[in-house]
Amino acid sequence: MLQQYAGIGVFFLVAAIFPIIAIGAAWLVRPKKPSRVKLDTYECGLETQGPTWVQFKVGYFLYALVFLIFDIETVFLYPWAVQFQVLPLFAFVEMFIFIGILAVGLWYAWKEGALEWK
Amino acid sequence: MNQLQMDFNLLTVEILMATLGLVVLVLGLLIPKNQSRGIAYFTTIGLVAILLYSVTMQWTKAEFLNGMYLIDPFSTLFKQIFLLTAILVSVGSYQFMEKYGHNQAEYYSLMVFATLGMMVMASAGDLITLYIGLELMTISLCVLTCFRLRDAKSSEAGIKYIILGAMSSAIMLYGLSLVYGMTRTTVIAEIAAAIALDGVSPLLLLGLVFLVAGFAFKISAVPFHIWAPDIYEGAPTPVTAFLAVASKAAGFAAMMRVLLIALPDLFVHWNVMIVGLTVLTVVLANLVAIPQTNIKRLLAFSGVGQAGYLLLGIVAFTQLGVGAVLFHTLFYVFANVAAFMVVIAFYNETGSDEIRDYTGLAVRSPLLAAVLLFSMLSMAGIPPLAGFVSKFYLFTAVIDQGYVWLALISVLMSMVSVYYYLIVAKVMYIGKPADDAKPIKVSSGLQIALILCLVMIFAFGIYPAPFTDLAMNVANTFFTP
Amino acid sequence: MITLEHYLILAAVLFCIGLWGALAKRSAIMVLMSIELMLNAVNINLVAFSRFLTPDALVGQVFAIFVIVVAAAEVAVGLAIVINIYRERQTSFVDEFDWLKW
Repeated sequence: MLQQYAGIGVFFLVAAIFPIIAIGAAWLVRPKKPSRVKLDTYECGLETQGPTWVQFKVGYFLYALVFLIFDIETVFLYPWAVQFQVLPLFAFVEMFIFIGILAVGLWYAWKEGALEWK
Repeated sequence: MNQLQMDFNLLTVEILMATLGLVVLVLGLLIPKNQSRGIAYFTTIGLVAILLYSVTMQWTKAEFLNGMYLIDPFSTLFKQIFLLTAILVSVGSYQFMEKYGHNQAEYYSLMVFATLGMMVMASAGDLITLYIGLELMTISLCVLTCFRLRDAKSSEAGIKYIILGAMSSAIMLYGLSLVYGMTRTTVIAEIAAAIALDGVSPLLLLGLVFLVAGFAFKISAVPFHIWAPDIYEGAPTPVTAFLAVASKAAGFAAMMRVLLIALPDLFVHWNVMIVGLTVLTVVLANLVAIPQTNIKRLLAFSGVGQAGYLLLGIVAFTQLGVGAVLFHTLFYVFANVAAFMVVIAFYNETGSDEIRDYTGLAVRSPLLAAVLLFSMLSMAGIPPLAGFVSKFYLFTAVIDQGYVWLALISVLMSMVSVYYYLIVAKVMYIGKPADDAKPIKVSSGLQIALILCLVMIFAFGIYPAPFTDLAMNVANTFFTP
Repeated sequence: MITLEHYLILAAVLFCIGLWGALAKRSAIMVLMSIELMLNAVNINLVAFSRFLTPDALVGQVFAIFVIVVAAAEVAVGLAIVINIYRERQTSFVDEFDWLKW
């Protein structure tokens, strides 16, 4: 059984060696002229303003949290969809109850302003 | 698919609870924020109605989904205990929430969902169901714990609760996964059968250790109690009352189901652990309670101690033991919630939880002082109050099994507990109130709840027969499949 | 040949790393991540048992799905509380949450 993984092992090896060769070759043949501008932080071609280690706006986290919850709940939708053909009618109704409860949650988040960008 | 037993009538209580929680949440969205007092009343009325309905199912014994969910007198009695606590706590929350709260609908809705989680725990006939119930309860309670957003202590209690709660859940889950692996099933009745057939393996024992540690955390038994005083102190007081009574009862319900029904063949192994926990809990909690200066911390340690007495019922592993646990939990609802309601009423008026500020409470509000005194004496086990009867049953249960020394330690530590309860009594009754101290107003709803609790504390002590009969009959049905 | 033991040992190692992280890390975020690690160790256990011991019944895998969902809810609440406490105190280090004495 372990032999079946050998292919994947070879794949990993190639994937690791390829960039090493590419970067290594470039490093060998390139001209070496370091300057301060080259070491600067890249920010869309503009000069960076202020420190780059700033704190992210907390709004991102709220979005992420709301997304996370709805994202994970689809774990239950997937097996349901795969088995949809053979499930009795009740399972169909049940899933709508589940989605209904989720919708109440979304409504709540909306109404409380979690989806507004402030 | 069709051979699954799915009689949804059995789930009426749970379905009603889930509906109530959602309706309360939606109501909060529809009703303007400044008119949300009605939501609180609506929740209480809904909970009372569900409690009354649950009485019709008192002696129903049935399985749902082939044993994954059990409706039996044991779980129904526990559900009634949770509902009672939720009702009393919701009544106790009115004034508090109006003064310090915001978003009332969310508060009451979370409380209903936490209660639902406890119900699922008590009824769980399957490890997965048990875990879902446990997490529903823990996560709801976490949000409730940090409900006072502007109060840093509340937030701190919340973060401690979620971190420690999640960690203990993970530890317990590891135990559950090992038990599942070694028995090839997650249904509690089948686990017992599989162990009887296959015998005990080292991995199963490892799983048991993790499991007991997880449960010990949920019921806050020493040495897994460190979280309790901090979180009790930081949480809004009504939530503390809920945590101290209902979540502990739920922990015991699930623990008894798993240890006594799923793992009876491991009795010799878990018995050693539980006896150790009991001794540590009873001794340490009562000693550490003595120097406390904050009433909520004092009640927290006294609650930890009560968990120790309840563990005696599990050590006994008999019908009498289970019955005694049920009876003690039932009485504990009234005694402990009453004590916390006094703390709430006092805090609403003065904004303080320090014991020294209770000086002369007997003059400022005779009712509050009397309720606090009697509920504390009852928890200490002074006759003719309720605590005496329930402790008598618990001690008898362990003495029957030959643990005389364990009962002796517990009696000794009960006497120690009288000491720190009496310190509070002394402050309330002998101390002179400060000159500028005003009488404390108690709202009529809270007064009714307090008097009800007081009556129940006396009723349980003076005429316990109907309640002990109920508890013992329920315990009789617990072991029969 | 990968056997059940390999998976169990992997899960045990992951669980211990997670436990160590949860107990030793200062940042509340790191603690939450470590707890996630513990839960995933449990998932490996469950799926491995399900695959090797009860290949016909999917109980273990169903259990794992529930654990994943609940863990997400738990972390969401945990992070929300961390954000709130950060606004109050400008810190997310657990050893500075000492207003309530331990």
